[in-house]
Amino acid sequence: MDPASDVVPLLGVGILLTALYLQSESFVDPLVWGVALQSALIGMLLGWLAWTEHNLDFAVIAVLAVAIRVFLIPYVLRRQIHAFRWRARELRASNRVTGHVLAAVAVAVIAWFVFQQALASSFPELGGALPFVLLVQGLLMLATRSNTIVQVTGYLEEENAIVYAGALFARGFPLFIEVVIFLDVLGVVLVGVILSIQRDVTGTPEERPIEELTG
Amino acid sequence: MTLTDPLWWIFLLLAAPMAGSILSLIPHPEISRAAARAGALAAVVAATSLLVLRSQGEWGGVLGIDALSDVFIFTVAAIYATSVWYSSAYLRYIHNSFLSPQVYYALMGAFALAMLASLVVADLGLMWIGIEATTVASALLIVLERKPSSVEAAWRYTLIASAGLTIALFALLLLYVSTGTLDAFALAASPPVPTLLVQMAVALALVGYGTKVGLFPMHSWLPDAHSEAPSPVSALFSGVLLPTALYAFLRVYRVLAMPVPSDLTDLLLAFGLLTALVAAFLLQQQRSFKRLFAYSSMEVMGLAVVGVSLGGVALYGVLILLVSHAFAKSAAFYCSGNVLRGTGTTRIDSVHDLRHRMPWTGAAWVLAAPAVTGAPPFGTFVGELLIIVGAVAVGADWVAVLVIVAVLLAFLGVNAQVGGMVFGTTAEPTPPAEEGAESGVSLAYLNVGVALVLGIVSLPYLSSALRAATLVLGGHVP
Repeated sequence: MDPASDVVPLLGVGILLTALYLQSESFVDPLVWGVALQSALIGMLLGWLAWTEHNLDFAVIAVLAVAIRVFLIPYVLRRQIHAFRWRARELRASNRVTGHVLAAVAVAVIAWFVFQQALASSFPELGGALPFVLLVQGLLMLATRSNTIVQVTGYLEEENAIVYAGALFARGFPLFIEVVIFLDVLGVVLVGVILSIQRDVTGTPEERPIEELTG
Repeated sequence: MTLTDPLWWIFLLLAAPMAGSILSLIPHPEISRAAARAGALAAVVAATSLLVLRSQGEWGGVLGIDALSDVFIFTVAAIYATSVWYSSAYLRYIHNSFLSPQVYYALMGAFALAMLASLVVADLGLMWIGIEATTVASALLIVLERKPSSVEAAWRYTLIASAGLTIALFALLLLYVSTGTLDAFALAASPPVPTLLVQMAVALALVGYGTKVGLFPMHSWLPDAHSEAPSPVSALFSGVLLPTALYAFLRVYRVLAMPVPSDLTDLLLAFGLLTALVAAFLLQQQRSFKRLFAYSSMEVMGLAVVGVSLGGVALYGVLILLVSHAFAKSAAFYCSGNVLRGTGTTRIDSVHDLRHRMPWTGAAWVLAAPAVTGAPPFGTFVGELLIIVGAVAVGADWVAVLVIVAVLLAFLGVNAQVGGMVFGTTAEPTPPAEEGAESGVSLAYLNVGVALVLGIVSLPYLSSALRAATLVLGGHVP
């Protein structure tokens, strides 16, 4: 067996494990590090593909992934954590995390089998279902968590899934670099601007029932 | 390039809001406002020219327009222009604003530019970027009034809309894998075999773009964003942002050859009916008049998706409904802005006797409310009627019945509430509210007038463009 051919599936397994770890974590700071690690693995995957396939697009996206999603966005998120002076734990999720993990594993297994049954013939690559599973995990994170920073990690996970899918089975997707840059800009707007406004106006990161937004 | 060359007008269409946006950053209130207005007016001129010239064509697989684009472009440009005009009246009353008027106008221009750019591109990837750009540009407009509720609404909007659009992007990846191109015009000209992968791509695009359209159950950002945004921005959200997102979905949907696989039309029908019915029920219990109109928009978008699923003559109804609704709903939101300024509240039970307190705004609101809920003789009525006729024509009588239920519920809910605020009285004396010549209420009359005319007469150029757009979508005109 060629060890080089195992690199992509191995990195895929690592990415999936980080996704499950994120579901199991209720502390905010480790969550930010977790999504940074996942982005780093995506960056390594892209770097590997750029190296083996001499693909300049992948090299550019690898650099972007590392610079923005491994360093910049986690840095801004951690600054927000300190500025808010949070307790470093998502308050309402701590009691539900076991349920989150069970749901995440169940959803991952179901997504895997649905994808393999329905679409495996279109995606001969080993682990072609992984980006789809990662996308579903990001959505689950967004749906089940209430803390704004944790929701951002869910969004970043979705973004990682798109980059992963583009690298794995949608080679030559037009405007791939532009799309990734745009997603990163949105990520920066999310964490940099809106969270700052939220801190200034409400002074709290946790959702509170707001009377005007009911009904 | 000559003046009959569509490329010239497309260039002006995009350059005008961009220039207006940049120039409105000049730190002089009058110049800033004039720049924003000039940019919006130039966009209307370009959009009207594209409509009059019946422009169509594709350029390099990047830009591409047809009759369907022309209709949407005209609507977006018109509502953008009236909203910019109305903004100057609205902004005078905003204190403790998060954004300066200059930045506000610049973001309005960027928001309009993103929508217009989405409508003139042929590449589905670029179209996705345009739709996503609307989120970036408009999110900050929601927090203009610096309230905790508006920050929360902006957060929900950004996160939910972006998450949905990520699914839409995944759908485009699948479509690209199965077809090898994202050129919407080329795909529509030679539709791919509707394999399971292609159908899954279209279904995911429905979920993804449907989030931005406000389809149930992905709609939760919509009432918050519409109710917390300043009224001119709410008008843009309801009137043209939701239809622009639907346009992006329609471009993906059109890659399927007719007849569309029944699994997909059933999925569309389910999403559309559920959205219309849930919104029609929810708007009965609203306490804020801005949320009331937000749910009304959701109901209309649900009906539009029902019409798309039915095809045929219902598609003509969908287009008339969307255009008429854009004008009517923007008028309703301009009135809402005036009432909010005049009474200081958005609570329905705190607003009474507007016929005496704000007679011009009250009268415009009484006209706009039936216009948005499909009452005759407004264009929305014609649109909804054609959707019902379309349902009966394909033998789906039960769909027609459910559409009628949703329409009646929405009509009763909105008009009863607005009627109560305008004609209802209270034992306590209610002082007249300020309603000067610069209240912007004339813009509400203008837009509700357009919605009225659309239902009564065949407008030159616009009506023929609507018919041609129906054919582009694979429908037919009665």
